[in-house]
Amino acid sequence: MTPFKDFYQYAESTRVIAGRDLLGSAGFEFQKEGARSVFVVTDEIIRGTGLVERVEAGVTDGGLEVAGVFDGVPQDSSTDVVERCAEAAKEAGADSFLAVGGGSVMDTAKVADAVFTHGGGAAEQEGFFLMPREDDGMGMPLPIAPLACIPTTAGTGSEVSMAAVIKDPERKVKLEIADFPLFPRLAILDPDSTRTLPASVAAATGMDAVTHAIEGYVSTEWSPHQDARSLQALRMIRDNLERAVQRGEEDEDARGNMLVAANLAITISLGSVHAMSHPAGAQFGVPHGVANAIHLPHVIEHNAAGGPEIADRYRDVADIFDVSEPEVGPALAAHLTRLIERLGLPTRLSQVGVPEEGIPALVEGAMGDGTTLLNPREMGEEDYTELYKRAL
Amino acid sequence: MSPDMAYFKDAGEVYATIGKLFEDLADDEELSPKFQKANTIVQYQYRDPESRITVKLIEGEDGQVDCGETAMEPEVVMTMDADTAHRFWLGKVNVTVALARGQMKAKGPVAKILKLVPLVKPVFPRYKKQLEEQGRQDLLEAA
Repeated sequence: MTPFKDFYQYAESTRVIAGRDLLGSAGFEFQKEGARSVFVVTDEIIRGTGLVERVEAGVTDGGLEVAGVFDGVPQDSSTDVVERCAEAAKEAGADSFLAVGGGSVMDTAKVADAVFTHGGGAAEQEGFFLMPREDDGMGMPLPIAPLACIPTTAGTGSEVSMAAVIKDPERKVKLEIADFPLFPRLAILDPDSTRTLPASVAAATGMDAVTHAIEGYVSTEWSPHQDARSLQALRMIRDNLERAVQRGEEDEDARGNMLVAANLAITISLGSVHAMSHPAGAQFGVPHGVANAIHLPHVIEHNAAGGPEIADRYRDVADIFDVSEPEVGPALAAHLTRLIERLGLPTRLSQVGVPEEGIPALVEGAMGDGTTLLNPREMGEEDYTELYKRAL
Repeated sequence: MSPDMAYFKDAGEVYATIGKLFEDLADDEELSPKFQKANTIVQYQYRDPESRITVKLIEGEDGQVDCGETAMEPEVVMTMDADTAHRFWLGKVNVTVALARGQMKAKGPVAKILKLVPLVKPVFPRYKKQLEEQGRQDLLEAA
């Protein structure tokens, strides 16, 4: 029987609207969250597809003003980009942020919003539950300017999470920032926003969603609330990910369902896959979804050997994929490796430019990553060294 | 002890117990080099009673622990009730839960400290033994 947990905390305060043809009502919906003068955050590639223009038209159709557009967000955003974005929003006289893009864009908008509202530098925002609060830091968190997100990938789930990850290029680390005010007030899930997504990006970001769902389910900080989301996300991913990658533009249902699945899968209670992937991204530029795809099977096999209770959690995941072998760790890992290969993603770190001599620094990064403490099996330097070697 | 009453009556008690633990760890030939891999200066700011302990964890340098005033510039600042710190060193506080509930707050490059968390388990029985030797059974019973 599942034990009643000594403690867990579950929060979700983002209003989600999902469906077809929603981009045109972006302004109608965002005004309900207090937005008047909207600063759009995106990247050059998304802007080049014409999607941002359609969103801008939707904003003005709702009677709101587009104060400006910042399209300078790179694949792995950094503290200097965040500060430029916040400054541009101030100069434009904006009162709210609308992110149109993937995880990097949405996380940039979140942290830029915090800098815009509270001041300070981007690196100063680092930490868990440290944003300004009433009552000498112990009371209610102070809100940031209204933020809405339109995800253009189905994976990160940042549009409904209170976390953001931003690279600090000086320290070569990814800063993790999490607090309740970072929950966007509105998320708009419209498959039109992933229509032009390249297959390789759909595959990598889809594997990010797979990783969120599985790590969230097996984490030490699992909760019945998140379990329901994780397992339903995995069912939807099982039925839609390969279709969305292979059929892309033709399959609006699969793309829409993947947006919802990614949205359900997100949690901040992750584990060692993320602990390994964050330094791989910060130190070697490995795209986050690709890094997760590479590390996931190895971590599953390692964790599932950590005891029957952990293995049982993985067995629930394996059931969804019709994997029923008695040794759940190797079987589930092999099943996911085959999926990753079918999606056309790399399965080894050496394929994405990580050299063997880079392992010690990666291990140090993984040990210092907050998600290590949430992994179901206790991790040490030796464990991470072995896992990186297996993934190489 | 009433539930509202803090375990420590003043900063001096905090320094004599938790402070002494830090000082002993700084002199420990086996554990000290492991903690120094954090390469940082961390300050623990406690409430109720107000007190602070600053610890230098720099690879290749002698350890340093300052109770109260310090000339060291902390890179990471951890804030919590002194009671929470006491319970932590007895192995009774889950760090991730304490961070999620705001019972512990960490400012600065938190990764440097988080990677030490798995290393502190052997310290828990040591703190308990130290309190027993100091005749502070009351602190063990209160926690």
